[in-house]
Amino acid sequence: MGLGLEIIIVVGMLIVLVALIGYIVSIYNGLIRLKHNIKKSWANIEVLLKQRSDELPKLINSVKGYMKHERSTLAQLTKARTDFLKAKTMKQKAEADSMITNALKTIFAVAENYPRLRANENFIQLQQRISGLENELADRREFYNDSVNTYNIRIHSFPDMIIARMMKCKDEELFKVVESDKKDVEVKF
Amino acid sequence: MSDLRRIFYSFVLLVMGIFFFISGYKSFRRKRLIEDTPTSKIRAIAMGLVEIYGVVVPYKGKILKSPLTNKDCVYYFFIIEEYRSSEKGGRWVTIKTGAKRVPFFLQDDTGKVLVDPEGAQVEVNRDYEFYSSTTKTPPQSIIQFMESSGIRYKSFLGLNRSLRFREYFIAPKDKLYILGTAGDNPYVEDGSVSQGYEDVMIQKGKKNSIYYISDKPEKDLIKNYKWRIVGGFVGGVLLILVGTSGILLGFNLF
Repeated sequence: MGLGLEIIIVVGMLIVLVALIGYIVSIYNGLIRLKHNIKKSWANIEVLLKQRSDELPKLINSVKGYMKHERSTLAQLTKARTDFLKAKTMKQKAEADSMITNALKTIFAVAENYPRLRANENFIQLQQRISGLENELADRREFYNDSVNTYNIRIHSFPDMIIARMMKCKDEELFKVVESDKKDVEVKF
Repeated sequence: MSDLRRIFYSFVLLVMGIFFFISGYKSFRRKRLIEDTPTSKIRAIAMGLVEIYGVVVPYKGKILKSPLTNKDCVYYFFIIEEYRSSEKGGRWVTIKTGAKRVPFFLQDDTGKVLVDPEGAQVEVNRDYEFYSSTTKTPPQSIIQFMESSGIRYKSFLGLNRSLRFREYFIAPKDKLYILGTAGDNPYVEDGSVSQGYEDVMIQKGKKNSIYYISDKPEKDLIKNYKWRIVGGFVGGVLLILVGTSGILLGFNLF
């Protein structure tokens, strides 16, 4: 074999090696980025959950004078807020979030029965603010689940799964909405 | 061909091959980043690197006129080239080029966000192309632009020059894909907004160097990048091998 051919083979092998290293580095960095995306998107949900939680005492104060017959709903909201503040894990927070969302839906639906409350400027502002936060939260939950989904698919796809196993990557949990939350709020007149 | 010339051309091929190979790798990384970043709803944009998709809406009446076609737009890029023939053939030579961009809103079904396109890599489809020749005079809008820029469209004999005019622009209502950094909006005062996303502006980030704007939807972009990856790697490897072989041949090592 001539020297030239040997050099060509070495160059070819070098190209393959460089491509392989680059590919592995990309997979590794990609997995790190996906993990980071999940953390970041969860942190973005938490910010809104906290903001909403801070608005709840104001809401309760503004409606309790009008909604004397809805004490159980208000108590439910207070309890859900306390549960959220105590929650440590993502699952606990997601459950408390579902309870709060449910209680809020009920309060806003029932408020239709109280014309004086609906005319209250403070209540209107709070309702708008909380509804806005609820909408943003829904979008960010969806974004979080998209991030988790991309990550979970990636760590089970070939060849990423090889690097993922080396990195001991595990499936991340989706932000699940409690089944009862999907039902429409029932309002009794 | 002399050995020295062979070595020179082979070296050029080798450098081109390395360039193709690196650009293939860059395309691969870009494709992964696009795939890995979920699309945010504009209402729920959080600070940092974001991917959004929506429709262009002008910001406070800031509108540009594209120089060649006189169309309303928020970004344009144009290039005017002349065909110059020589003994070895002909080639297009750039005689004037230019680009301009202004901030605009991007709107989806949840809200709109301000986008400052400064520093972005913009990839949009060509919107206009015209070839002028002795029998083909450019449209009036082009003639006016050339006259105001001090470029003659006729040769000294009074015949039309062989020119190629190309224009790319982003017009209101165009759909855009943007991968950029959501940061503070300098045009609004803190605390003066009712919705959080109004205080956000998409811009070139300090940490995230990527800032990419395209008029293609994400699926088409990914497909497009797949071809760039294949082209970059296959073309790169072939050129490297051919270039190396040529150099070796030049040194009589085969």
